[in-house]
Amino acid sequence: MGDLGINLPGLITQIISFVILFVILSKVLYKPLMAMLDQRAEKITAGLEAAEKAKEEAAKSEEAIQEQLQEARSEGQKLVTQAREIADKFREEEMAKVREELDAERSRAESNIQRERDAAIEELRKEFAGLAITAAEKVVKTSLDEEGHRALIEGVLNEERSRNN
Amino acid sequence: MSKILGNPRSLAILIICAAGLAISILGGALGNTLGFGFFSSSLPAIQLPAEKVADGFSTPIGKWNLMNTMVTTWLAMLVLTLISIKIRRNLKDVPGRLQALFEVIIEFFLTLCEQIAGKEKARRFFPLVFTIFIFIVVANWMGILPGFGTVGRIAGPEEIAHHHDAYDYHDPALATTTHDSHDSHLGAVKLHVFRDYKSIPVAALSPGSLEEELTFSQYEENNGNVGEGKRAGHLVPFLRSANTDLNMSLAIALIAMVMVHFWGFSILGFFGHAGKFITFKSGPMGFFVGILELISELGRVISFTFRLFGNIFAGEVLLMAMAFLLPLIGIIPFLGLELFVGLIQAFVFAMLTLVFASMASISHDDGDHH
Repeated sequence: MGDLGINLPGLITQIISFVILFVILSKVLYKPLMAMLDQRAEKITAGLEAAEKAKEEAAKSEEAIQEQLQEARSEGQKLVTQAREIADKFREEEMAKVREELDAERSRAESNIQRERDAAIEELRKEFAGLAITAAEKVVKTSLDEEGHRALIEGVLNEERSRNN
Repeated sequence: MSKILGNPRSLAILIICAAGLAISILGGALGNTLGFGFFSSSLPAIQLPAEKVADGFSTPIGKWNLMNTMVTTWLAMLVLTLISIKIRRNLKDVPGRLQALFEVIIEFFLTLCEQIAGKEKARRFFPLVFTIFIFIVVANWMGILPGFGTVGRIAGPEEIAHHHDAYDYHDPALATTTHDSHDSHLGAVKLHVFRDYKSIPVAALSPGSLEEELTFSQYEENNGNVGEGKRAGHLVPFLRSANTDLNMSLAIALIAMVMVHFWGFSILGFFGHAGKFITFKSGPMGFFVGILELISELGRVISFTFRLFGNIFAGEVLLMAMAFLLPLIGIIPFLGLELFVGLIQAFVFAMLTLVFASMASISHDDGDHH
């Protein structure tokens, strides 16, 4: 054994040296480094999980937003249609009202015109009767009973009117 | 080829390499036989046991001496401790370079432990497996640094003679009385010649020392005179790769196997683990197989020890031989080879420890049911 260089004091020295190194490395290097590696692994796992969750949530909220958007769109569509309907109805009503008013106005105007015309015709007839009498007086140069003439002319005019009508 | 020759820079590199190789071949021991050998120095004395750097003290179990492999062991420990403290101080969630490097290595080994031994046992086995790996790799790589095996003190002829069991040898250069005859086998032992810087107790084999080396008998004929300001002897390096000492590799092997069986006992219980080796359940054949397994456990210690020692020691010898044959350039590829061997041996030692540990922590009964 001596020729191979193996001797008990040397062997024990090396064993003790290795054990000391083992203890130092365990305390100083492995323990803190492993703890940190574990901690980091945990952190990464938690981070990945959180990211996954966030992704899911984002997808979910995206869906919700889309849904809401769809709802709002249909709601808007409905509102527009309703508004258009109301507007149409309102216009119809207004138009009808206006038309009615116009009709009333026109009929009123027409009756006024009729009345005016009647009055004018009456006036004209009266005037014409006076004129005719005066003209006749002048023509015949005779003084006739004014009463009798008027009746005569009236009769002629009435005859005329009934023929006209 | 013409492209390489056309570029002035690559041409210069090529010429330098060729010149280096020529110097390497002609300047070394190879060139020495052809009459050149301007760089050749003696091949250092190669010996299996570690060399003694300083005398120690007596203990009840034998004399404790400071060996050069112990110095290297402690240097490797120091390096690892300093690195650990540096990492520990700057431990951050976002790692720096050093921390990232160690995280990668540690993660690699932790994954390996989990794959081989399972998740629960991995944390238990990891510290020893990783310490074995990192210590062996640092010690091996330190061993090929310059200065390892080349710088040391001079062991004089008397000390060399002691190694050859010639305890009554007296150095003629020191002895006042005429010396007596010596062992015949000692006469052929070569002595190297060093420059003697009296004030500095450090020596190295210098270029040209190959020319001056002489045998014991020649040394005696010269009456211990090797020239002005020179001394004869062997180089005792201050530093020698830690695992070129069987004490070191045996120490790691013993710790590994003791821990393997400790885990075996603590995981399977005393009878669960001991029952693998001493069993009466499966008849005389089973008992015999159990005894064989017990012997193979001893074999594991020996194979652990000599695999590591053999590879690293052979590497040192190879480097020495190459520095002797092809100094300067010739040694470079072998340095790369030794880096590789040092890493692989460390990995093999750690992996085998892990495999043995996971095997020891599985009971045989379980194995049968699978």
